[in-house]
Amino acid sequence: MPPYDDWNNIDDEEDELQDSSFLDSKRDVILFCIDCSPSMLATHDDPTYEDLQSSHLYTALESAVQIQKKKVIVGPADSVGILFFNTEGSGVGSEIKQGNYIYQHITPTSAPKIQELMQLLEAAREDPTLLAREFPPLAEGTRVPMGDVFTSCNWVLRDEAPKTASKRVFLITDCDDPHQGVERLLVPAKTTLVDLTQAGVTVEPFFISDPARPFDPSKFYTSILLPAHIDEGEDDADAGLPDRLSITRIDDLLAQMRFHEVPKRALFSITMSFPPSSAKGSKDGEGMKIGIKGYGLVTEQKKGSYKYFVDLGDVMVPAAVRSVYLDEDQQAPVPRSEMLFGMSLGATAAAADDEDEEGDGSAGHTRTVPAGSRPYFTAEDVRDFRTLGLEPGIRLLGFKDASELRFEDQVKHSLFLYPDEMSYAGSKRTFTALLRSMVAKNKIGLALAITRRNSAPIFCALLPQREEAEEGSGGWGEPGGFHLIPLPFADDLRAAPVEKGCRAGEETRAAAAAWIGKLCVKNGSYPPDSYPNPSLAYHNAQLEASAFSEEFDPEAFEDLTLPKIDVMHKRAGPLLKEWKLALMKDEAASQVIETTTTGTKRKVAATDVDVDESEIRSKYEDGTLSKDFLKSKSQPVSGKKGELIERIAEWLDSHP
Amino acid sequence: MPAERAGYTVTMFLVDISPSMGKMRTVELPGDQGTVEMTNLQWSLQFVKLKIQEMIFDGRKTDQCGVLTFGSDDTNNIVNERNGGYDHVSEFIPIAQPNYTTLAQLDELEPSEVIGDPVDALIVGIDTQDFYLGKKKSWTRKIVILTDGENPIEVEDWEETVKKMIDLDIILTVVGIDFDDEEIPFKEEEKSSIKEANEQFFHTLTDAMPNAVLGSLSAALTSLAYPTIKTVKSVLTGSVLRIGDVDGRPEEAAEIMVKTSKYTSMARPKSWKKFGKRGGGGDADEDGKAAYAQLVMRTEYLVDRAEHDDDDDDDEKPKLPKGKGKDADGDETMEGDEDARKEQMERVEKEELIRGFKYGSTYVPCPDGQFPRLHTIKGIDICGFFKAEHFRRELPMGEVHYIWGDPASAQQQVALSSIAQAMSVKGVMAIARWVARDGADAKMGVLSPSIFDSVDCLLFVQMPFADDVRKYTFPSLETLVNKKGEVVEKHPYLPTEEQQDAMDNFVDAMDLMYAGEKDEEGNRYPWHDLRYSYNPAIHRTKQALFHSAVVQDLAMNPMPPPHPELTKYFEPPKKLLKRARDAIEECQTAFKVKPVPKKVVRQRKDGHVQARDDDDEPLLLDVKPPRRTQTQSQMTSIKSETTPVAKPIAAGSDTEDEESDSAHIPAKKEGGDPALPTPARSISPEMAVDPGRAPGRIIGTTYPLRDFEKNISQGDVVSKAVEDLGHVVTEIALKPFSSRRHAELLECMKALRDTSLKEDEIDAWNDFLRDLKRACLSAHGNQEFWTEVRQQGRDMSLISKPEAAQHGGISAISETVAEEWQHHILISIRKRTPRHY
Repeated sequence: MPPYDDWNNIDDEEDELQDSSFLDSKRDVILFCIDCSPSMLATHDDPTYEDLQSSHLYTALESAVQIQKKKVIVGPADSVGILFFNTEGSGVGSEIKQGNYIYQHITPTSAPKIQELMQLLEAAREDPTLLAREFPPLAEGTRVPMGDVFTSCNWVLRDEAPKTASKRVFLITDCDDPHQGVERLLVPAKTTLVDLTQAGVTVEPFFISDPARPFDPSKFYTSILLPAHIDEGEDDADAGLPDRLSITRIDDLLAQMRFHEVPKRALFSITMSFPPSSAKGSKDGEGMKIGIKGYGLVTEQKKGSYKYFVDLGDVMVPAAVRSVYLDEDQQAPVPRSEMLFGMSLGATAAAADDEDEEGDGSAGHTRTVPAGSRPYFTAEDVRDFRTLGLEPGIRLLGFKDASELRFEDQVKHSLFLYPDEMSYAGSKRTFTALLRSMVAKNKIGLALAITRRNSAPIFCALLPQREEAEEGSGGWGEPGGFHLIPLPFADDLRAAPVEKGCRAGEETRAAAAAWIGKLCVKNGSYPPDSYPNPSLAYHNAQLEASAFSEEFDPEAFEDLTLPKIDVMHKRAGPLLKEWKLALMKDEAASQVIETTTTGTKRKVAATDVDVDESEIRSKYEDGTLSKDFLKSKSQPVSGKKGELIERIAEWLDSHP
Repeated sequence: MPAERAGYTVTMFLVDISPSMGKMRTVELPGDQGTVEMTNLQWSLQFVKLKIQEMIFDGRKTDQCGVLTFGSDDTNNIVNERNGGYDHVSEFIPIAQPNYTTLAQLDELEPSEVIGDPVDALIVGIDTQDFYLGKKKSWTRKIVILTDGENPIEVEDWEETVKKMIDLDIILTVVGIDFDDEEIPFKEEEKSSIKEANEQFFHTLTDAMPNAVLGSLSAALTSLAYPTIKTVKSVLTGSVLRIGDVDGRPEEAAEIMVKTSKYTSMARPKSWKKFGKRGGGGDADEDGKAAYAQLVMRTEYLVDRAEHDDDDDDDEKPKLPKGKGKDADGDETMEGDEDARKEQMERVEKEELIRGFKYGSTYVPCPDGQFPRLHTIKGIDICGFFKAEHFRRELPMGEVHYIWGDPASAQQQVALSSIAQAMSVKGVMAIARWVARDGADAKMGVLSPSIFDSVDCLLFVQMPFADDVRKYTFPSLETLVNKKGEVVEKHPYLPTEEQQDAMDNFVDAMDLMYAGEKDEEGNRYPWHDLRYSYNPAIHRTKQALFHSAVVQDLAMNPMPPPHPELTKYFEPPKKLLKRARDAIEECQTAFKVKPVPKKVVRQRKDGHVQARDDDDEPLLLDVKPPRRTQTQSQMTSIKSETTPVAKPIAAGSDTEDEESDSAHIPAKKEGGDPALPTPARSISPEMAVDPGRAPGRIIGTTYPLRDFEKNISQGDVVSKAVEDLGHVVTEIALKPFSSRRHAELLECMKALRDTSLKEDEIDAWNDFLRDLKRACLSAHGNQEFWTEVRQQGRDMSLISKPEAAQHGGISAISETVAEEWQHHILISIRKRTPRHY
């Protein structure tokens, strides 16, 4: 998901990749709604750092900082606010309802806002009683009714959040019975929550539980928060209450928030059509239809691209970017609606074409046709050539054995499909039956997909995924649905440039199998969660440091994607050594390669390199060898002799 | 034949323009667009133009061509200039990179009065090409002859010419009009004896050369229309496969020299150039011509200084991020405004701009456009292995790469082969970290072994980082829980056994495994073969680009339909559909899927308008028409909607039962008027008049004041009564035609305020009043009523601290605030109300 619009490429009529960005550019607003009761403020020993005191409130605020730090990069237009309840709140923020204070108004995330909060937290580290003084709790035993809390949230979001933004309240509390059993407060709590929901706000609860005070949602919250009842009809309401969470460690709260960090948004909402019942088909060649929504569960998170700013002296202002299309000769912009499309007139068309005209026409490219003729296509024509006139939808073509979907049939990330009962009643049962059937028969589907109005048709495999129960508390189970995997076209396939090669003998292979076995994770798979993108993190860390006017310390940066070499050597070191010995003995490895494309002389030299590196070193010292050696080490061979020698020196230095 | 080097080619077209080429013929237009009359010359020029278009399309400077004519009235060629002879051969278009003009020039060719000799033209062509290429020995030389073969040819010494062509590695193509072709098959009736002899000669000529073909024009044109794929051999790039700590523990670590190349690489449709019609003014039409100019893009940078000079005092509206600050209302009119705004902005030169990043609403300058990059070292590091069966096929992010052992080193090949074989035998894949060049961003991915007939390699595909994976939650499709927390076995969302059977049959019936082409032994392949599935957008776009380049008027010559090859996989095979007919119909009958009619979105009372395509929320609300059609009063009337009072109310799910049924007969609900809380009748059927009490309420809408006073007199439910009366007042005020009850409502409010003050329900009153104001002043509110309330003055306003204190109560509101409040908010709200309309 590109977090920023690609400013210099606004003209997107053909680039499919751009399509998703406009949906993603929808703003997200999070209002942290944090309980400030005495128990939230009570200090305890920090679980990670010795000699430090922490509190639930501290943890909650710290998670608000972390979320803002992520938001600020992922969605620079997103906004965050913080509301405290159960506090006298004297001196801070403004009161919404009694005991409900807005600490941070809903504002677009920014460095100063985050720093402000960080400074507060730092001060609270120094003085553990600070938070309690800044946000004094209501008198012991008094709590504000939850109805007031929800109403406060409603008002704040209504007045301060952009209308079209997705709006969420992150409710953080450790009190499972906020009304201390007072029944009459229950109804207002329910109704105000309904109001909030109706205003398009989602409430995401984060309940703090600790061993001394276990959190029992059934005391109060299950009856007011909306669980995923089937009769709800609220398909996309997030599935119910999380199990009780322990957020005494900030990592847990953050891990939980990660699931909710990005609001769930469908990329498209279309139909999936079954084959027509007669060969002639219905009028559009499609039979029964069900509603489908598509989600991007795997999307490359890129670094934000830079933008241009104007220095107005006291303030930096981003420059707006506009692309105009000009007839160069006339220097007149042509409005988009009047633009026509065709093939390039070629490199030097103008010169020859305009010869008979007078001077002025010589610079631009023009094509002259009899008046009244229309030589070029309209934007709509052009779209039809992309889509072949097909409407958005997924057309189910049939089924194949699951084994037909090979590892290499892969060009682009997948999308996830989930039924949409709201557009076609009966979608869910049909979808579920199809899913069950395909799982039972070990089949994949083949489909023709046009996901957007402007996108080109592609063939896709439908990979069924049966749902898996959640594991652990508050965990995330695999949802049931189909993965839509785009298949390559013939146009996307490349021929193998290598057709023959030397192959390992039995012993070498066995030696390789030995160390591979030692490095094999049992029951494991590729674990995305273990690999945060190092380059992205490195970039973001510098961006953050720069925004906070702090020094960036590259030494402190840890790249988690590097191989764990110590473990590898411990497990398989000796076996790797044996494999290398087996390799030396393998007859196939001592062959001299004759290839048709390159001269034999060169080959021999290259093979020499593998055989005896020490010889190379002496040759290098004599200065008699360059390109062949570099080539054999996959190093560039361009440049002057001196540069080559330098490069060899570098290589030899780094490979003692 | 080895894959051709793209470009670096000179193609000579030798076009016969002898009088015989003027013979008319009827040519079928593609698709069912009928036929058209044209000369053989025009027909053969179609071939030349298609070929030249392709060169223009690819736009390579090193892909050049020249056109010679034979049978031309005059003589103009380099051989004639040097040695004489070779008459009636003319250099029509000198060798160059072709462009649109080249095509226009070809259109001007007419059959001549004299006959020309193709062998003369061939010799001139070879010479012209050779002279032009001079020392560029590595260029590919192609010669194409187009002729009807109706005129005598001087055939002596042709072997010399062949020898020369072989020496120069020329690729010769002879395209003959109505030449006999066994493959189509085609045999021309009443062929002249000259043509027969000439055809024979061309056969002899082409057979004598290693790189020559002879074909008929009709076959050549057909094959040009077929989607063609440029077979690109992927480029080998050097890299290193590392295992373990190659620096610290080299004896236990390994470095294998490898080459990588692409296995899949996504091709995209060629881009269109943009054109604009030259000014509608007189000069364009004078000579009855219209000119179209190719447009150039210019990027403009704009800054709105005004916006940053004076900070307009608009505290009503939250400040939106600048730059792309489209207002939340974001509809078309706003876009227009946006454009208008841009018009007024000042242009800035790119040189004046500073590069930087956005950090939320803060800006971080970064003149280089990027921060120092993470230090990485080129190569592919193996991080571990896992069982291939655990591989998640939905996770790969992009294209697939081959990894080969260095083709120049047997040892490297064997090393890689041993790993690939061992992985294959053990059924494992590797986790690997790939750095394309020093300093490049690292990618994580998976290596899978691939064992070919005579070479072993690894395949790499990029996998997601933690940052790239979204974990959205979705409701279970299989386990449905009702309100009581019980798992439901039967539900419209769950397929019945009968439905499941129908689906199972359907999946079996639509099996494509044996629905494809037959092999030699008559066994069928699966239907849909990637290798023959052409990207329709690419080829259709290409076809259209070509079409518009050749055709002068698209209205006269519309685009022919797409080539059948492009759409062959758009529908399941007909035979299969026919066989599966029963299963498909059975499925349709069993599942009874029906479209849900779209509802019109009404504005919400609080102005939180949801954009129509806003994904989840509005759709979610689609099934709750009672709530939405009555949005203006939802805040207060929500509980009065439909649920029979006998039922415990579950928050937010009042309409649950109705919904689960009505999901399938959605129209049913529209009839109900939620403003009339009929279910309340069931509470007290004995009462003559419906008190209008919603479930859970002690105050009804019919006689609110009476209900209130009755409850207050009982003394024990004051808070509830105060709260409920507030709700009821708001509810009534927001109903249509409520004006006749305004006086009654003011009475109620008076009583309410009075009670609130005395019974220490001050906050309740203040809250109620705020709510009422918001509700009244919202889009579908009741501004009139609020005005009336305001006219009551201070006695109907918020309860302030001093006032509360008089009655021993507490208020958070200061007297000034209470006084000004009504007035102040009215003004500020007025300011925004127009936006709702």
